[in-house]
Amino acid sequence: VIVGIFDRFKGPDAETVAARERAEALHAEILASLQTGRVPGPMRARLEGARAGTLPWIATLTPSELLIVRSHGLRPVAAVSATCWLHYGFSWTEGHSQGWETALERLGQEAQAAGANAVLDVKMRTVPIHIANSMDFTLVGTAVHVDGLEPSPRPVIATVPALEFVQLLEADVVPTGIAVGAHFEWMSDWRGNASGAGWWNNEASQLSMLWEEVRQLAHEDLRRNAQARGNGVLAHVNFSQMFEREVEHQPKQYLARHIVVATTVDAVRGVPIPHEIKMVVDVHAGATPLTGTQPHHQAYATNESEGAI
Amino acid sequence: MSTEIPVHAKERLKGLRTAAHASGVFTSDFSVNEFLLVRKAGFEPIGLCVGSCVYHVGIQYGSWNRNQELDVLSKAMYHARELALTRMRAEATAMGADGIVGVKLTIKRLEWDEHLLEFIALGTGVVHGAGHKGFRAHDGGPFTSDLSGQDFWSLLHAGYRPVEMVMGSCVYHVAHRGVLAGLGTAGRNVELENFTSAMYEAREIAVERMQAEASAAKAEGVVGVDIHEGSHGWQTHVIEFFAIGTAVLPLEQEIAPEKIADPIMVLSVND
Repeated sequence: VIVGIFDRFKGPDAETVAARERAEALHAEILASLQTGRVPGPMRARLEGARAGTLPWIATLTPSELLIVRSHGLRPVAAVSATCWLHYGFSWTEGHSQGWETALERLGQEAQAAGANAVLDVKMRTVPIHIANSMDFTLVGTAVHVDGLEPSPRPVIATVPALEFVQLLEADVVPTGIAVGAHFEWMSDWRGNASGAGWWNNEASQLSMLWEEVRQLAHEDLRRNAQARGNGVLAHVNFSQMFEREVEHQPKQYLARHIVVATTVDAVRGVPIPHEIKMVVDVHAGATPLTGTQPHHQAYATNESEGAI
Repeated sequence: MSTEIPVHAKERLKGLRTAAHASGVFTSDFSVNEFLLVRKAGFEPIGLCVGSCVYHVGIQYGSWNRNQELDVLSKAMYHARELALTRMRAEATAMGADGIVGVKLTIKRLEWDEHLLEFIALGTGVVHGAGHKGFRAHDGGPFTSDLSGQDFWSLLHAGYRPVEMVMGSCVYHVAHRGVLAGLGTAGRNVELENFTSAMYEAREIAVERMQAEASAAKAEGVVGVDIHEGSHGWQTHVIEFFAIGTAVLPLEQEIAPEKIADPIMVLSVND
């Protein structure tokens, strides 16, 4: 027992010190890489190993998705991921746009390091740690290589599951990434009747107009951001909030914000879809992947808590 | 506790080995579709395999303002899962199973003690109908896989067989932000690089550990990977990054590549 007590004064053993130093080095490398906009060394080594075949490939795909991508000449290379933890000191709403954009950029770099042509099954996530006025914007997906193609300098990023990705490719449509539209507006209630008044039915038209304007501008922003990536968007995630704020000796203030996140596609217009309609029985258990309606993104699901198994 | 199987359990299992025959009874948690597809793939279920482990998770606190892995917790979460899986696999080995499909790994908190976690691994042991031993894992024991019966069939038809469930865990403490740190960023949207890098580090550790397990199992790849975050009643800034998937190898003789059918694409008319 006495020896045990004295051991405490000797300080950590060599193994602990070495482990601590390794952790510090990893931490410094990641931080420096984020600041200079490159993929951190250990991640790069893992991605290049998977690319060369010296490390096992990793796919977030289910076996039936693996089957369908393989039959269409795609090979999974590595699971790629990117995060941007952003503090919104200026604007929460615009922070969401900025956060996803940064994460998207970094995901593209990882995919490039993996020698990929596309990233499939990209999920938008956020971890359940709440730190005031900030949030993490995380993307996780599977980088794939298309047989017979050179690695792309800017791999396509698809926020749809693998089955839907292949369905789109068969129809000559390429999903190209995410576009975010975000807008917020403050409104001061100078006349003091924005929320309506009296005992009769009447529209709170100032608030209606505020909503109309914020939504229209958010969608305009979406259109502008989508233009750089494709000629259409699919599958909106719409998120909006309105708040009332009381300020002393001043009129009430209203904040309205609206965020639209969508998958951008590049589609050849006016081309018929090559599929015939045929009745099939789906043997899949539970929610069928054929419809693709299972929850795929978790970042804006406010009351969905998830735990590790 | 060792992985030795109790006598009465062994007796029960002995009976189950004959379950592939008309005289015996097999137990499984298969749905009808699962059962039919596992048999379509050439396998017969022989019995449910269970492994569990009640684990006292030690205590470790992160420094208030430091990003760091809490290795005591990482090891606990990994070790407890591994014990449950090993015990399940021992049951399957005793049954003479070639593999276990549909493994469900769950964690329950025992309510009377915050440090006690119960880990359960449960799956259905299967044997190859024609007695083919080529589906066993690299060590000659049964393969393990968290894929459902349907996914198992799909995987074989994608030209792969499951080898082993692989996983990596990293319990991580994310630093708290100093009071003064907030002042410099008022009125601006800025990235909190320290937090971003914490996410990168923790996720990387979990994924690397999973990949190392896959390499050790001599696998070609890992399918159905889930990388997610969870908290098991720790402090607010402590989070577990967990990566899990099924390591796979290409089929050699079991299904000739020319027999692998091309899937038919359908557009679903229901939503």
